[in-house]
Amino acid sequence: MIGFILGRLGAMVLSALCMSFVVFMLTNLAPNLEKLAKTQAGARITDAEVARWLEKNGYAEPMLRRYGEWLGVLPAAGATDAAGKLLGGRCLRGRPDPAPAPRFCGVLQGDWGYSTKFRQPVAGVIAERLKRTGVLMGWAFAVMVPLALAIGVLAGMREGSALDRGLSTFSIATTSTPEYVSGVIFVALFASSMVGLKWFTGSAKSAVDGVTFHNFTLPVVTVALYGMGYIARMTRASMAEVMTAQYIRTARLKGLSFRAVVLRHALRNALIAPFTVIMLQFPWLLTGVVIVEALFVYPGFGDALVQGAQNNDIDLLLAVSVVAVIVVLATQLLSDIGYAALNPRIRVA
Amino acid sequence: MTTPSDRPDRPHPAAELYAREYRAGLMDRREFLGRATALGLSAGAAYGLIGRPAPARAQPAPRRGGTLRIQMDCRELSDPRTYDWSEKANESRGIVEYLAELKRDGTLRPMLLESWQANGDATEYTLKLRPGVTWNTGEAFTAEDVAANLAGWCDSSVEGNSMPSRMAAMVENGQAAEGAIEIVDDLTVRLHLLRPDGTLMFGMTDYPAAVMHRDRIGTSVADHGIGTGAYMFEEFSVGERIVLVRNPEHSYWGDGAWLDRIEFLDYGTDPAAWLAGADAGEFDMTYETVSDFIDIFTALGWVESTVGTSSTVVIRANQEAEIEGIRPYADPRVRRALALAVDNAVPLELGISGRGRESRNNFHVAPGVHPDYAEIAPHRQDIPEALRLMREAGMMEYEHELISIDDDYRKNTTDAVAAQLRDAGFKVRRTVLPGSTFWNDWTRYPFSSTNWSHRETGIQMLNLAYRSTAAWNETGFRNADFDALLDQATAIADDTARREVMARLEQMMVDEGVAIIPYFRSLYRHAREGVLNAGMHPKYEINVHHLGWA
Repeated sequence: MIGFILGRLGAMVLSALCMSFVVFMLTNLAPNLEKLAKTQAGARITDAEVARWLEKNGYAEPMLRRYGEWLGVLPAAGATDAAGKLLGGRCLRGRPDPAPAPRFCGVLQGDWGYSTKFRQPVAGVIAERLKRTGVLMGWAFAVMVPLALAIGVLAGMREGSALDRGLSTFSIATTSTPEYVSGVIFVALFASSMVGLKWFTGSAKSAVDGVTFHNFTLPVVTVALYGMGYIARMTRASMAEVMTAQYIRTARLKGLSFRAVVLRHALRNALIAPFTVIMLQFPWLLTGVVIVEALFVYPGFGDALVQGAQNNDIDLLLAVSVVAVIVVLATQLLSDIGYAALNPRIRVA
Repeated sequence: MTTPSDRPDRPHPAAELYAREYRAGLMDRREFLGRATALGLSAGAAYGLIGRPAPARAQPAPRRGGTLRIQMDCRELSDPRTYDWSEKANESRGIVEYLAELKRDGTLRPMLLESWQANGDATEYTLKLRPGVTWNTGEAFTAEDVAANLAGWCDSSVEGNSMPSRMAAMVENGQAAEGAIEIVDDLTVRLHLLRPDGTLMFGMTDYPAAVMHRDRIGTSVADHGIGTGAYMFEEFSVGERIVLVRNPEHSYWGDGAWLDRIEFLDYGTDPAAWLAGADAGEFDMTYETVSDFIDIFTALGWVESTVGTSSTVVIRANQEAEIEGIRPYADPRVRRALALAVDNAVPLELGISGRGRESRNNFHVAPGVHPDYAEIAPHRQDIPEALRLMREAGMMEYEHELISIDDDYRKNTTDAVAAQLRDAGFKVRRTVLPGSTFWNDWTRYPFSSTNWSHRETGIQMLNLAYRSTAAWNETGFRNADFDALLDQATAIADDTARREVMARLEQMMVDEGVAIIPYFRSLYRHAREGVLNAGMHPKYEINVHHLGWA
């Protein structure tokens, strides 16, 4: 088991390295560097000025070398003045006074770099944004999981009944409506002057200062409904399968009430499969969150990704991709371990 | 030597000349006011010259106190000279101010200056500083500061500094010319220009011309917060929220600064998100309301304000662009054919729903807005002639790639032009680039559209975009005769004569087929009932010192 986990962690580090290198390559293509120079030094600067700016700020080094700087295995370089003092470069970004700048400032030193868009260290941006997205995802999960399991169990305990048909239709409808459709419909219905209900707000910007029922319901529901249908369908399938098992029939013949059969005998076995699916929702939610945050103007992790991409904010995009790799692989690991714990027939390692 | 500043009671001779022309019906009132105030007259004195009372302030002064929340992109701040977005100046205007400001009606109002005077041929300007202005460090604001800023504005060696083009009459070898900036005393600066320039003061009101402390030239206000304004940053989160609060340590020179707190809130670029925020009651005023959302915001009960401007979309060929070894747009017949194939009323209707004014012809001077606009023959769509020219140039089979940014009105306007070109029988392929990459090469696209913001005079526009040496020359139009005429027109002269030169410049742009300039836009802004002094400004300016609640 320990060996299995260590192996997975190694894979995680390797994936993060590969992923960050790919992102690094893409963000450091010449046109993207030019875009960066123009967002930093003025949209209308000349090519000569772009080249000067890149040179001065240490973007003109070979790409592999700069990847090494980002990792922290190579000392950062940049333009120097006659006295050999650094004028710019990785270690000076965001530090107004160049005197105490270290020579190494990469991930290994715990320095995630400087966000050129948000004008502050990346670590701070990511931490704050992850916290906000965590709040959004937390509420979404709190709504999604109980609802999905309830729907799945209710639909699956009597396969083919009217209740099953109704709930299945509902969950298929929510799964097949992407967030950018359902979100817009919700805003139009429940938050706009057009319809005039105005129960909630169609903008979650004020949720940064405090989550209320009023400003957070729509984004949470938009995220939750999309993921809910899938979990509900999986739960239903699993439940329906369990309900046909021999021991359920035995329990019924023994004279147990249907309710007792479902709650005591069926549920435990039926919930093993959805557990994995719920874990898989984490990485999917990460992508959904990008859309929902853009739609509801909620400055979270997804918004950081969008802003970073729009402004070619290299360090920020790298950090975002590393976080994404960790989230995906960590949830997979958890789901494998959890599955093994729940299902005695499965052995990892 | 007597300079006009020795006789401050006497108005500038040219202003009297303008007044005569106004009375003779040669120019309208707006134009007269713009020109007279640029020479150093107060708006009141200018009205006096033409024998009209100055209009009373239509609005009462706002009450003291309160918070105002404004929807606007929250961008990072750099050295003000390199500002490339009006939003940046709006963020910093509560802290670093300007020598003078352009009012919504096109007149200039002195701010950190008390007054200015130009001599008879606009080669010498005397700037009088407003006494009693201090920096929020407690130091006095002096002529040293003004001179240092002027020198900085002339410094072409700074990456992205767009001020030298506005100060061109003082620039020599990329720096302020020797002796151009003279400090007369603590409160007086005299400028000696290399050549006449009647538009210099307009340049000083433009958004990159924020006046920094003399020791802080080249820095970002966000780093130190030193300025003359009444406010300070309380929070500065790029892409999210920027909060200004009254600076308790500082005594502000002006009588404005009504509000205690101003919040700029970033809602991204999607107007639907702005509407959601307005519907949620999260802000009180938009930066700019666009397209169909103008009517929607008005329907919400918000107060609409609008202003006619010289903002436009220029659909231009680049004469120097090379595609696979040929220069498709080097031939004026090709460019002329493109312009003749377009009925300018169509892009106005389809591009901006008619919210603007059709241009007179395809030149970059706006009727009814620019004081130096000269009437020349109007543009008429003429498809047979367009076809004849294109055939003559042997370019009928050529497929034109028309590039635009992926954004509502610019895309729609360009689409409308492309459709008309196709209707005329030309081959056109449309390419739409996202905003994040569009600006990378915007001056070099062979055939593309660019949005241009308002400038106060036509001559500024032409100098900025069509002079052969201009940094923002995107047409590849480099013509010595045109430049010579520009020099002539930039120097102030008798109005009829200047109009004459302008007419020739305009006609040259048309004949050379420099660009398709279909319309000039009106701009819109919305605010809640009770927000004062928030009217839309032709240059998107928001001066937080003026804003307040009724």
